[in-house]
Amino acid sequence: MAYEPPVTDYDKIVENCTCAFCGSNCDDVDILVKDNHVVGVRHACRLGASKIMEDEDQRLTVPMIRDENGELVEVDWDTALDKAAELIAGAVRPVFYGWSETSIEAMKPGLELTELVGAVIDNQATICHGPTVQAVQNVGYPLMTLGEVKNRADMVVYTGSNPMNAHPRHLARYTTFPKGFFRKRGRFDRTLVTWDPKYSDTAKLSDIWVPFEENGDYAFCNAIRAVLKGKELKQDVISGIPKEDIVALTEKMKNTQFGALFFGLGLTHTLSKQRNIDIAIQLVQDLNKYTKWVLLPMRGHFNVNGFNIFMSYEMGFPYGVDFSRGYPRYMIGETTTIDLLNRKECDVFMVIAADPGAHFPGGALAHLADIPVIQIDIHWGPSTELADVVLPGTFIGVETAGTSYRMDSVPIFMKKAIDPPETCREDEWIVNELLKRVTKLKEASK
Amino acid sequence: MKQITLTPIKFSSIALEFDELIPDEIYGWSKEDFEKYEVPVGNSRFPLTDYYDIEVEGEAQSPEEVKMIIDGDAGRVKYIGCKMDAGEIVVNGDADLHAGAEMEGGSLTVNGNAESYCGREMKGGEITIKGNVREYAGTSYIGEWRGMSGGKLTIHGNAGKQLADAMSGGEIHVMGNCDILAGIHMTKGFIQIDGDVTRWPGGQMKNGAIVINGRLERLLEGFELDAIVTDPEVEGRQFTGKYIKYTGDIGVNGKGTLLLNAEKNRHHL
Repeated sequence: MAYEPPVTDYDKIVENCTCAFCGSNCDDVDILVKDNHVVGVRHACRLGASKIMEDEDQRLTVPMIRDENGELVEVDWDTALDKAAELIAGAVRPVFYGWSETSIEAMKPGLELTELVGAVIDNQATICHGPTVQAVQNVGYPLMTLGEVKNRADMVVYTGSNPMNAHPRHLARYTTFPKGFFRKRGRFDRTLVTWDPKYSDTAKLSDIWVPFEENGDYAFCNAIRAVLKGKELKQDVISGIPKEDIVALTEKMKNTQFGALFFGLGLTHTLSKQRNIDIAIQLVQDLNKYTKWVLLPMRGHFNVNGFNIFMSYEMGFPYGVDFSRGYPRYMIGETTTIDLLNRKECDVFMVIAADPGAHFPGGALAHLADIPVIQIDIHWGPSTELADVVLPGTFIGVETAGTSYRMDSVPIFMKKAIDPPETCREDEWIVNELLKRVTKLKEASK
Repeated sequence: MKQITLTPIKFSSIALEFDELIPDEIYGWSKEDFEKYEVPVGNSRFPLTDYYDIEVEGEAQSPEEVKMIIDGDAGRVKYIGCKMDAGEIVVNGDADLHAGAEMEGGSLTVNGNAESYCGREMKGGEITIKGNVREYAGTSYIGEWRGMSGGKLTIHGNAGKQLADAMSGGEIHVMGNCDILAGIHMTKGFIQIDGDVTRWPGGQMKNGAIVINGRLERLLEGFELDAIVTDPEVEGRQFTGKYIKYTGDIGVNGKGTLLLNAEKNRHHL
């Protein structure tokens, strides 16, 4: 890696900003500003810093509408908003997807708009931690704050996730390396365990690596639970792990003072989906008969958890909420975005602060190419290629202040460091404008 | 006896919702009433006559005297027979999500395949699926810990993943194969699977019984071998032949019964 000299040419430092990348929401980031541009970022990891620094690259700056030749042409805000409102007001099965990279303040009018038109509102949980949320509904949520882990945990387990690559400061800031009140020596006072079929970068760093076979998570957790209940294991090898190792690991887990289990999509998206999380939560409940154990999903986007909390609080359901009959309904496989697209049900799709073009399966994208798509985003991406109306928003946490929820459900106010480009509008303003215009159209059609 | 026949004339990719068209609601309806009726589609309602030719024959004084036939593919018609209490519904084709969900009585026959959530939270009555069912047949609402509590669900084909999640009563008979985690979180009731099962039946089951007449690939550690039994009687049903009897899931101190056909499951002994 080439040496980069420190940035010294800047006008001011905006201290304690919140990183708008992953669910760790590191709120100790300093942004160096010169002429209303970000010229440097301190304390953030490379992922977070590159997102904040390279924001100007491929930035969407003006509203656009796709013309009859299939080209996106620049228009004024009124034309673009009217076109979007017209599409939404005339839809029979609209889906409003995204929301995980915007603020809670923008979600509020978004939910009002959803209720008004009888749409489906959904976020990225539908393709990531959705099974986690389902399991939490089934068997509870033994969670904690990351501060507790920092100060108390002497055993940290990561399964189905690789924070060294995906949440780079998670170990350094919250779980493994920091010196805590009861863990004065930091890393030396903690045992780091990784359960993962892959020898990931986190596994390389761990004291114990448990490489269970792919799709073996459910049977592995079931075996630990059986050992905790005093059963002698019958099979010699369970999910690719010798039974002696499972017994030894269980003993270690029983004899910690404070254990924390973190899991990622490697657990939520293997064969038994939400049942993996279901049994992991119950395993944590069992361990609490002996000592203190807690569990937390490694949420991806900085506000993906915020949407789930916001929706649960407002509507009682965490994601994939359907208002088509006037009241909220929630059913995995029926009211979730991918299923609605795969079944070719959705007829107008609005995406805000997300990139389905890059993340959705081919069948879903094929349908997106056939229907009108409205995009509210800050960057030109694969979704822009599918979009018929493009509304450029602003960057929460850098250009606009807003509220987000960290992965452990702690709300964090993200301040702004620079002013947004003059031609862009805040997400909250855009969604409010759409709400006003759709309300007017609905009233006119009565 | 009143017979209502709906013949499809137009396909809608946005699913129709038939939860209002159950015998309990429509036994007094004339043909004109059906023609006036608007069916929920997405966030709107459109005339039922846009999608179906409707024929009504005979009279009914109560829901029990109603037979409704959907004479064609209903692969995009959700909630067929949802919450029905009496009468009969026959689908001559596939059925979409939630067929027979929360059903309390009467009968539903699907002469085709059924999508996911068939017989969800069923309380009574009888559902027969002549084809296959997808995931979560006879299951609970997402997050609910009480699933199917009564009635009988018969599947002539194969069943998908997580059959009868949190089942607390009733009976399910799968004549074909079954995917992972049948009877997960089960607390009561009876499941019979005649075909092969991939993995982990009865995960975290507390009580109830599962009988597998085919081959089971993988069994969970949470099940303790009890004995090899001959011609067992389970919940009042007699089975012939040798079966391996397990109790589990001990992870939840479960007292559920899992019976595997001994001939086909020698690899577990």
